[in-house]
Amino acid sequence: MVEQHLDNRRILTEYILASQADFYRLAYSYVKDRDAALDVVQESIVKALTKADSLRNPEHVKTWFYRILVNESINWYRRGQRLVPLADRLDQEAAPELDHGARLDLYDAMERLNEKERTVVRLRYFEDLKLEEIARVTGVNLSTVKTRLYKGLRHLKEWTKEDWNDA
Amino acid sequence: MHDDLQKAKQRYESTEIPPELSFTVAAAVREGERRRQRRRSARRSLGAGLAACACFCLLVNSSPAFASALADVPVLGDLARIITVERYQINDRDRLIDVRLPALTDTGDTDLEQRINTEIRTRIDEVLDQAEQRARAAREAFVETGGREEDFTPILINVDYEVKCSNEQYLSFVITKTETQANAYSEFYLYNLDLTTGTQLTLPDLLGPDWRTRCDQAVKEGILQSEQAGGVYFAPGEGGFETVSDDQKFYLNSQGQPVLLFEKYEIAPGYMGVQEFPVSVSP
Repeated sequence: MVEQHLDNRRILTEYILASQADFYRLAYSYVKDRDAALDVVQESIVKALTKADSLRNPEHVKTWFYRILVNESINWYRRGQRLVPLADRLDQEAAPELDHGARLDLYDAMERLNEKERTVVRLRYFEDLKLEEIARVTGVNLSTVKTRLYKGLRHLKEWTKEDWNDA
Repeated sequence: MHDDLQKAKQRYESTEIPPELSFTVAAAVREGERRRQRRRSARRSLGAGLAACACFCLLVNSSPAFASALADVPVLGDLARIITVERYQINDRDRLIDVRLPALTDTGDTDLEQRINTEIRTRIDEVLDQAEQRARAAREAFVETGGREEDFTPILINVDYEVKCSNEQYLSFVITKTETQANAYSEFYLYNLDLTTGTQLTLPDLLGPDWRTRCDQAVKEGILQSEQAGGVYFAPGEGGFETVSDDQKFYLNSQGQPVLLFEKYEIAPGYMGVQEFPVSVSP
């Protein structure tokens, strides 16, 4: 039992060190700020290691960690007290407004999805997770994941229609 | 659709990775490991500790003779000075509170004990009061803006302490309050007592008249060292370290050496965590 824990911790630490760039990219895609993304990665790692003993199946280390990471990323927004100076935000691009007739890049279009759909689309296509894995990360059942992915893709198709007609 | 997804993925993968990442990750791994160990040892000792503690407190409280007898036993004498007087948990829809409240005892100086214990209690009560108000305000705001009441994540508050140094002369302990709502934020209350004089220690007491210069130097050297290893600090003039304040936070480590403590965000970006710099006592 103790050795199992020790093993799991070693696996977790090695996994964290090897995949840090992935963590950063995913966190950044949510918070869109360099320091904030670093902060989210830091908080997630501390939290994961503190709770390392609750990782029962080391094969699930990736989805187990992503669950913490995604929650931390989303919570970064929800935390009301976290104020970002306006000047820091001014030079960042805002989520693009939907302009009928204009081409909308798929990447930008994703920003317009709601948080749940966006998470599923990102994990599926950017992080190449299987649908079952996404279900574990988001803590919902498989059919909910499928629904969100379907809805998300339908929105994306609609918003980038012009682009596809051209292609 | 497929091509577009590929293009979008390329754009995602071209996110620039900042050079500080590996340093941040390494520091976070160490911090996580440290916290896990602390949690574990606290949990493991709790079962056996509780029963022993209960009669220990009782005896210390009820019999001055027992307390002073205990102080004469060499090893127990050290242990008898900081005890948990109260441990309680509150779980409701706004908050999950876990408090381990320490008190000073058996220093042979009842004045000092009373003063410190009243201060600890007042401070913790005040901190919890404020946290409760924040929790209530946060929940009301959450509901008013359309959130469902049952979806509200309660605020987690944890109050704990750690004895850093305990010997014949000095007693140094740190009370930590961690408040978690989405992100954890810790505040530290540090107590450093000189048991021989019954006063709270100050940095000038320990380091002499040129304490400020020596502290500044130790911090600057520490920052430099950490920066060489990839650490990042705010620049002086932009919220970074310039000089220690008159009420600079510090504790004594087990060697009786003062260690200056800076809270998260105080002199460095949040991902650098809490910063600690030891200052040597002999120049």
